[in-house]
Amino acid sequence: MVMIVGVFVLIAVNIIALSVFSRRYPSYYGSGRIAISIIAPFQKVATRSIRFVRDVWRHYFFLATVATENDKLKKAQSQAIEKSNHYNELKLSNFRLRSLLNFQKTMTNRVCAAEVIGKDPSPWFKTIIIDKGKDDGVGKGMAVVIPEGIAGQVMDVSSHYSKVLLIIDPNSAVDAMVQRTRARGIIKGGSAGLCHIKYVLRKQDVSVGDRVISSGLDGVFPKGLAVGHVSGVIRRNSGIFQEVTVTPYVDFEKLEEVLVVLNPTKHEFVSEQ
Amino acid sequence: MTYCFHICTCFCLVIFKTTVMPYFSLFDRFYDLIFPFIIYLSLFRSARESIPLILFFGFVMDNLTGGPFGLYLTTYLWLFIGVRWVITFMDVEDSALLLFVVAAGVLVQNFIIIGTIVMFEPVSRFSPVVISTVVVQVLWAVFTGPIFLVFFKYSHGRWDKWFKEVFANKKGDRYGLIE
Repeated sequence: MVMIVGVFVLIAVNIIALSVFSRRYPSYYGSGRIAISIIAPFQKVATRSIRFVRDVWRHYFFLATVATENDKLKKAQSQAIEKSNHYNELKLSNFRLRSLLNFQKTMTNRVCAAEVIGKDPSPWFKTIIIDKGKDDGVGKGMAVVIPEGIAGQVMDVSSHYSKVLLIIDPNSAVDAMVQRTRARGIIKGGSAGLCHIKYVLRKQDVSVGDRVISSGLDGVFPKGLAVGHVSGVIRRNSGIFQEVTVTPYVDFEKLEEVLVVLNPTKHEFVSEQ
Repeated sequence: MTYCFHICTCFCLVIFKTTVMPYFSLFDRFYDLIFPFIIYLSLFRSARESIPLILFFGFVMDNLTGGPFGLYLTTYLWLFIGVRWVITFMDVEDSALLLFVVAAGVLVQNFIIIGTIVMFEPVSRFSPVVISTVVVQVLWAVFTGPIFLVFFKYSHGRWDKWFKEVFANKKGDRYGLIE
């Protein structure tokens, strides 16, 4: 009897402790940094060795496939050049319109390139370890991006390494909007590498294939960064929100290098005199 | 020296899981590799030897994952308590126990993790992916768990033997017993 009561008390204490510690944002007095600092150098060595072996394999043993890939790339390049010309035109017209409306030129963000050296040991959570930390100017809460789009947010920093919470993790939240209709919502991580946009009103026009971008209102991610495309919309008969599924542009399985945005854009509102 | 063996083994397992395994999509949903080691400690080692290691590696894992802090510590401790309780009425050398103990442990771990996620996020993701992840992990554990246990036991035995030999030789050298 005493043992059963003891077990129940232990379970209760355990649940209370977990609920206290689950509020991750208060720092654990640097304890997390110690663990990352211990493990990350070994992860870095292991990752570099694996990549070295893989690169040797790819460069010297897969030359046959490289020839076909080269043909494909040439085709893709010609298409890209065509697209690039088109975008140049758009850029010029955009510049003219901005000047016309007397908009201030958007500040270019300073970024820091980092290498992914480790991934989350659990399949239930989606984090990565990168080889840049406090000494490189990286801080907690900074945005992590790649050219394809948003990757995540720095959640813990040690002097040379950082832990990044990916946008596909259920604990992640990004303020985003549908580019076509400007319908806003919060992107939360889902299962199977997908995300969901929460709190999109049913009356908002959202369709499959729509591009989703960051709104910049969360103060973490600069405005206009690509997040993904809408891959599913469910409007139920009841409820005020619709269920929107987003497929991220970033391939998180193949994430190797990332950029950390060091000076996120601050929105300053100048009052008119 | 035993602690040295345990720490080296756990470090290797953590690094293997976080750096090598992500390159192979086959192991996308492999279970936590520290887990069979915790079971090995619970089955074959003393509580005095096991608890500090469980606390240390629970702490390390909690800092490496994106989950709530304390989740891995909780899971490891409860697993340790559970296995210690099971071996009070089951034979440690029983091969049936070895066959299923890791799988059962992985199942319990998944229930604790899912339970915690649901507890803190009631509007959580419960999709077929969750069930398939649990099933895949348990199947991996059924097939590979006993191999890990046997490997840990064997390598620890070898380590102890090797260390004793080295220690005996040094002692012998000091007293001029070995020529």
